[in-house]
Amino acid sequence: MIYDFLFKITDSNIIASIIQSLLPLFIFILPFALFAVWLERKVSAHMQDRLGPMRVGYHGALQTIADILKLVQKEDIIPNEADKPLFNIAPVLVFIGSYAVFAAIPFSGAFIGSNIDLGIIFIIAASGFVVAGILMAGWASNNKYSLLGAMRSAAQIISYEIPTVLVVLTIIMITGTTNLQTLSEMQTGHFWNWMILGGPKFGIAKFIFIPFMIINFIIIYISTLAEVNRTPFDIPEAESELVSGYHTEYSGMKFAMFFLAEYANMFAVSAIVTALFFGGYQSPVGYVGNLFGIHWLIPIEQFFWFTAKGIFFVFVQMWLRWTLPRLRVDQLMTACWKYLIPIAFVNLIIIGLITVL
Amino acid sequence: MNVYDLIFYLFAAITILSAFFVVTTRNIVYSAYYLLFTFFGVAGIYVLLGADFIAMVQLIVYVGGILILLLFGVMLTNKITNVDIKSGTIHTVPATIGVALFAGIILASMWNTNWKNVNSDMQVASTQHLGFLLIHQYALVFELLGILLLIALIGAASMARK
Amino acid sequence: MKEYFNNAWSALYTIFVGMKITFKHLFVPSVTIQYPDVKLQLPERERNRLYVNMDDCIGCDQCARACPVDCITIETVKGIPGEDLGKTSNGKKKALWVTKFDIDFAKCCYCQLCVFPCPTECIYMTDVYEFSEFERSNLIYDFVTLTPQEREDKKNNYAKFEAEKAAEKAAAKPAPATKPIENQETPKP
Repeated sequence: MIYDFLFKITDSNIIASIIQSLLPLFIFILPFALFAVWLERKVSAHMQDRLGPMRVGYHGALQTIADILKLVQKEDIIPNEADKPLFNIAPVLVFIGSYAVFAAIPFSGAFIGSNIDLGIIFIIAASGFVVAGILMAGWASNNKYSLLGAMRSAAQIISYEIPTVLVVLTIIMITGTTNLQTLSEMQTGHFWNWMILGGPKFGIAKFIFIPFMIINFIIIYISTLAEVNRTPFDIPEAESELVSGYHTEYSGMKFAMFFLAEYANMFAVSAIVTALFFGGYQSPVGYVGNLFGIHWLIPIEQFFWFTAKGIFFVFVQMWLRWTLPRLRVDQLMTACWKYLIPIAFVNLIIIGLITVL
Repeated sequence: MNVYDLIFYLFAAITILSAFFVVTTRNIVYSAYYLLFTFFGVAGIYVLLGADFIAMVQLIVYVGGILILLLFGVMLTNKITNVDIKSGTIHTVPATIGVALFAGIILASMWNTNWKNVNSDMQVASTQHLGFLLIHQYALVFELLGILLLIALIGAASMARK
Repeated sequence: MKEYFNNAWSALYTIFVGMKITFKHLFVPSVTIQYPDVKLQLPERERNRLYVNMDDCIGCDQCARACPVDCITIETVKGIPGEDLGKTSNGKKKALWVTKFDIDFAKCCYCQLCVFPCPTECIYMTDVYEFSEFERSNLIYDFVTLTPQEREDKKNNYAKFEAEKAAEKAAAKPAPATKPIENQETPKP
């Protein structure tokens, strides 16, 4: 719908699609990253009975902007022994990977970057570039810590992709669609139509689904947390052993790009969880726009609900980060291969049986 | 020449150029990364052909899986940058014959196939149809492939335990 | 099998326990003190920058001698007999002009050893601890209340007085040499 509007003003489908593809970056990812970095620092501070940044703006609200200004002015250092072309491409590749994910995320009924049928599968595919970029960064830095961090990160991401995909499969089995917009539209109405509470179809199956859906949600939340390298799964950038992992050698804007990609990823996985289990952009209680008959308000409300749910899950990620210590490598692999994957498989089979019966 | 043609030529150029560099570059890590762009280009061409599911699987399996494992292997190998990649010319005559045969087969199949003219900007939801075919018409092949992969997996696991 | 599910359950359960604890701490008032705006109440016997109340200082040099790092330098000039040097707050009469009383806080180790020997309690610790400087020379504090001109005057006066005395002595030289020594010795007992 935004596309139609853009097409109407620009009168050219190429310009309209270019503007539409840039919209999430400028109206969403950049402000979100600014906000999320601030939120991360405040949440971590308050959980440790500190105050966090307080001096720039009200309660340090403009701190991130000041940080960005600092990063922009910084010298861009490329180590002598680094592989220069790969070293320069890596942050771009990582950012492309995490930005491509946003193409298929339904922000609201009126705005989805590309309403493709394979939305959720596209998201899984695009995140493959992030792994390649991380490996590239680690190798090109020519630093043992970077390389180790990149290796761990890649091993972790491809291991934890399996439970994620298994959970996504159960959702596809129940709903019969991979299109995230359709999936969100299915969960319309009130919150009891959300997938976490058994989906929109009312019946006995709905109530049998609930416990399995909650297990599913926990599995996908843990595994996506591992995929974005957040604590307790942050062994790729474990400060105490690997300096800061694959971006040890990066400085200035290239470092900022990694940072931006990390925060974009955090929101992306929260958005996936939201779209799959928590009704996507649907309001839990109904729309003000419907109440008063103002129909143009509904997409804006949907956008609000989507970002609110997404930011809530980002907050839970931060909450977990400041609660749990880091896992050891063998514990990480145990958690994935011995716990998440078997449970996800059993879940897949049980839900499959329920949908067939 | 519309936009779709332009995009097609772009992807084709990416595929062919990066495939060329995969073979010619002396640095084995570079060649692995050129392979990434080859896979990407092929995925793009699949999308333009309307085979969206194949394109996504191409990305998931090749970029997200195989390429990463390849890079793992390359990077974990000791002193990988100093390895001499052997690129001398040997067995010229058999190689020429082999390449000529292969090229002949491909060209012959290209000319003899009855290509369908499908409008390239037509959107076809291929996933459902594909899944139906896999479960009905090609169920046996599909299951056999699954068993093959399982055997490979078990074999790898038992080798790793030794 | 039972252990497996126990493990899975206890992992999940303990995560929620931990999350509950951290969530409670979100609302615990923070212990941070916004330093330049809000400052800690310092303890009663804190040791920070020294201060010398020159009105009370008698120039006895005891603090300089007590100092383990020699950061106090004192120079004194005797007053001329007719001059009034004022009194300290506890009624002692001053006898010396203090022409130099420098404390180098770059050297000072804040041990407070200089404070105890002071007979008039004129050197003491204050609660000022923010006095960083860009130049090390700025850390040498001059506590003397006299102006440079006055200090020169005092020195010159005393030198003149000495010279006069010496001249007097020279005039009275013919007198027996032992006498002045006896004179000096007598007041002692």
